[in-house]
Amino acid sequence: MTDAALPVSPAPGKQTFARLLNRLKELSKLYMLVLPSSIIILVLGYYPKIDVVVKSMYRWVPGEVEEFIGFKNFIDAFSDPLFWNSFQLIFILLIANLFKMWPGIFAAVALHRLMNEKARYIFQVCFVIPMVIPGMVWLLIWKSFYDPDFGVFNRILNASGLMNFLHWLDGSRDVPGVMPRLASALEPLIDGPITLLFASTWGLILSGSFLLTLSGHGADKSTRHKASGIILATSLIPLLVSNAPSNGVVFILAIAVFASLMFALAKTLGPRWVIWMFLFFGSLYGFANNFPLLFLNVAAGILISEILRQTRERFNAEAKIKFIATALFLFGTFLVLFAQTWTDPTGQFELGTPAWLGNRDLVIPALLFWGFPWVGTMGVLIYLAGLQQIPTDVYEAAEIDGIGPIGMLFRIELPLILTQVRINLIFMTIATLTSYEMFLILLGPSGGPGNRGMVPGLYMFSKAFIDGQFGYACALGMVLFVIILGLTVIYNKYVKVDK
Amino acid sequence: MPKQLNKATESIKIGYLLFVLGFAFLPLFIMIVVSFKTNQQYQANPFFFDPVSEWNWGNWSFAWHTVSGYIWNSIFVSVLSTLSTISMVLLSAYALARYRFPGRNIVFYGIIASMFLPGTAATLVTLFDLLKQLNLINSLWALVLMGTNSGQIAGIFLIKQFIEDIPGSLFEAAQMDGAGHLHQIRHIVLPMSIPVISICMIMDFLGTWNNVILPLIVLRDEELLTIPVGLMRLEGEYVKEYGQMMAGFAISSVPLVIMFLFTMKTFVKGLAAGAVKG
Repeated sequence: MTDAALPVSPAPGKQTFARLLNRLKELSKLYMLVLPSSIIILVLGYYPKIDVVVKSMYRWVPGEVEEFIGFKNFIDAFSDPLFWNSFQLIFILLIANLFKMWPGIFAAVALHRLMNEKARYIFQVCFVIPMVIPGMVWLLIWKSFYDPDFGVFNRILNASGLMNFLHWLDGSRDVPGVMPRLASALEPLIDGPITLLFASTWGLILSGSFLLTLSGHGADKSTRHKASGIILATSLIPLLVSNAPSNGVVFILAIAVFASLMFALAKTLGPRWVIWMFLFFGSLYGFANNFPLLFLNVAAGILISEILRQTRERFNAEAKIKFIATALFLFGTFLVLFAQTWTDPTGQFELGTPAWLGNRDLVIPALLFWGFPWVGTMGVLIYLAGLQQIPTDVYEAAEIDGIGPIGMLFRIELPLILTQVRINLIFMTIATLTSYEMFLILLGPSGGPGNRGMVPGLYMFSKAFIDGQFGYACALGMVLFVIILGLTVIYNKYVKVDK
Repeated sequence: MPKQLNKATESIKIGYLLFVLGFAFLPLFIMIVVSFKTNQQYQANPFFFDPVSEWNWGNWSFAWHTVSGYIWNSIFVSVLSTLSTISMVLLSAYALARYRFPGRNIVFYGIIASMFLPGTAATLVTLFDLLKQLNLINSLWALVLMGTNSGQIAGIFLIKQFIEDIPGSLFEAAQMDGAGHLHQIRHIVLPMSIPVISICMIMDFLGTWNNVILPLIVLRDEELLTIPVGLMRLEGEYVKEYGQMMAGFAISSVPLVIMFLFTMKTFVKGLAAGAVKG
């Protein structure tokens, strides 16, 4: 913001009535200029969003019922399994989208490094062209790709022999393939020691991430103990709430206690507390039927890290904890991927015509593959604009230091376009969390076979416009909004931009 | 720009770009190819053109009859909302960039903050209620208004930055000559910020053109539907004629293709010049 433009600074000296009037006239002209935008944004931008907050406390069908019911909608939301299941899908998609960001970054870097000016311009134009096609057309063409009989996707799989490979992995109802057999081989491990120690595979992931949270540098003994205590206390909250009779007072009390504990934790741990908050919500899902185990799990985690710290020198302990934490996390992820996702043969690949959007086991893979090769026009162009601002001498200096092309990517280009990456990350996250149009168009309001494609946004949409529970949809919207706000805060804190 | 580069790395880069672009263009290619085919021909040979004599032009005429009405609706909504967006944006961006006045910060940060208040599907519920109270259900004007709203925020943000970079002396000279605010916008801001204005307009146009959900819940009458909803209806029919569908898709892309033909150069240059700095 420049301060250069100040043509209407009030003149010093005596302010006569005429001058005041003149000033008012000038001001009113300026207000007239910003008035249209302000009104539009207030009425169409702010009002509906604020109305969501209000209506979330109502039982509301527009024009028919409007009855204040306090926090009942929220209480219902927290015990609505379909709503929480929809978050499982959205977090899978979010993680997938984090990986899908890379092809765009690579494309922008490759485009930026092209030596031939003319080729660069031509490629740049080529990247703009897909924008010409309406989004709906893309969506519907891709949908037709997934058609079992006509679809191009199945034809490519059949022609390239990949279909046979998938069949080999999957097997048939009578003869399970490789993946189901692997899952059943790992099953005793999960049912036995892992359920005993960690409640579920989610417990493994939780413990791993939990240890990572606690293992920061510089956390001295007293803050560590304090943080551990607070975390232990938070893990008791769901246990108390789930055992208490479900009424509004307990619920609000629990939220108040949770908020104050989070505040205390934020004071002791600094920005890292945010991780715990998200872990907490994740664990609510993972331990949904077994909240006492959540408490035990957290206690065990704290115990492990304390024991490690006691027996070893501080520096070693830090490294050790990190190693154990990463191992737990990776093992948990491995088990979820290979023992809990592909447990039964789908039997779809045998005939070579899997119905990607019509089978409950294939919907999520189809959504993950969606949009291959995942290079969005706007993303590439925004990264490119960032890359073009990198001064030439940075490259020259790097060259003198003997940094190769791949080194340059990670040491120069990525750090210097981090602003753009962060903005894309924030917008991608918000867009993923709020998205529902694609799912509505592809799978219908119920989220496809077995509600597998149900995302939170779609759930709100169908609650409101199909089931007519408008107030409840607003409450769901509030929950989603708080989560989005939290994620934006994390990004702003962690993906730092060095100016 | 890195200097050390040999043929090998150059061809790796070009290879990667071609791979990415190849897949990005595959849907377009398939769309054109299939639009000339009957379902039987599609089944037999999905990837390439049949001999010209077997081309099925009937798909295109059928699709034109289905889609043309939707196209006019879409053009009406997109053009009107783009024009009203850009004129409002210019007024406020000019005032916010050039003058300090009481309440300026409230207005500016109020606009910027709404960018970070994402609308979830729940917002759609209250918005629907609002539009109902304004008596805008089943009216294209609801879409025009909403298009105007969604374009404001980014537009004001970008154009305000741009106006701040225009030398202040230009405006002062105009003021000496007795030019009012509108005159200054018309003769100084408009000509000097063409690149960023055109980018904003294109983005607004695309945004309104591609909007699906709002028309889906707001519009009731068949003859008022915009392109995306119309295509959705076409796709949802029980017996799918893929050729007719793809021809419909292709026809509904034409207006955007025409628009980009004229604005491509400004657009690419504007982006390259860092109009989208982020």
